[in-house]
Amino acid sequence: MDYEQSPDRVVGTAAVGSGGPPKKAPVPVKIIVAGGFGVGKTTTVGAISEISPLTTEAEMTSAAVGIDNPGLGSTKTTTTIAMDFGVLTIDQTLKLYIFGTPGQTRFAFMWDDLIKGALGALVVVDTNRIDDCYPAVDYFERAGLPFVVGVNTFNGQMSYSLDEVRWALAIREDVPVLAFDARFRGSVRDALLVVLDQALDKAVRQKSSYS
Amino acid sequence: MTYPDPDDPAHPARPSVRPFLQSGPLAAGGYRPAPQDEQPPAPEQSAALRPFVITSGRTNGADPDIGMETQVTVTPGAGPVRLSPEMRAIVGLCFEPVSVAEISARLRLHLGVTRILVGDLRAAGQLDVHVLDNETPDPETIMRVIRGLRAIT
Repeated sequence: MDYEQSPDRVVGTAAVGSGGPPKKAPVPVKIIVAGGFGVGKTTTVGAISEISPLTTEAEMTSAAVGIDNPGLGSTKTTTTIAMDFGVLTIDQTLKLYIFGTPGQTRFAFMWDDLIKGALGALVVVDTNRIDDCYPAVDYFERAGLPFVVGVNTFNGQMSYSLDEVRWALAIREDVPVLAFDARFRGSVRDALLVVLDQALDKAVRQKSSYS
Repeated sequence: MTYPDPDDPAHPARPSVRPFLQSGPLAAGGYRPAPQDEQPPAPEQSAALRPFVITSGRTNGADPDIGMETQVTVTPGAGPVRLSPEMRAIVGLCFEPVSVAEISARLRLHLGVTRILVGDLRAAGQLDVHVLDNETPDPETIMRVIRGLRAIT
């Protein structure tokens, strides 16, 4: 086994102190990008991330088996799912993480962990398969997480208008529904800014209710 | 092929199990740097549970404070201890602040396994886990993110 080790990093705890103290850890904040397969989550994450999206694998453990009933006669007891994520360094002390997660119910077991401390979510929608994102919309609504519905206009056209999407998803009036193109950084940035706007709204409301 | 059941008292999980488990092409975790590893493991392999051999079978018990984005650094002046290869690899990544998700991705360790091992290393005094004081981000932080995002082109 060979772990990649840059030569200036001395492993061996005795030498650590001499290398000066580690840099102060930045504050991480995160935004979730949710949606069905193939709607452009990874494209969205990759468009805004400063690194090419990394993939982490999570295990659907026995605790989640009840959620994703594999059906009678199935011998499959575990499933591995992959999550893509990207990073954007805001400044030395602040880092934005963008996590992509599938939007179907069977992945909901990890949403509890994922939304903890999250600023908000962008639900990516393909107008041809709107129902893929119902569970995510439903979950974020219940959890009180600020979210925005973003219709990915793959080819510059949508089969349905934004109003029709809003109607189909039955979301509240104050949840923004917008069109964006996951391939373009500026477009993704603008969509995320709308998410942050919602997050700011909620944070300000919370703060004023405390004081 | 049978593997010793770590929960079976007659066959306690021993570290010596690991080299064997990691010798095969479908070994748990898969640290192989080769690019052809990009393809997902064949689904018919029942290897799914094997990563948790590294955690002595623990699948729960990860500290709920350790989130995917939680930043981790090596503890300055930590005493030398004997660590498993996976733990050594984790410590080796943490000289610069790094998130749990990045550790998981770069070492190709499952997220659940990574969280448990990071928790163990924190308990062993090897890693500093920077848990945030306030869970919900405050308006000032969000404003900084907004300004930072607006600045990119």
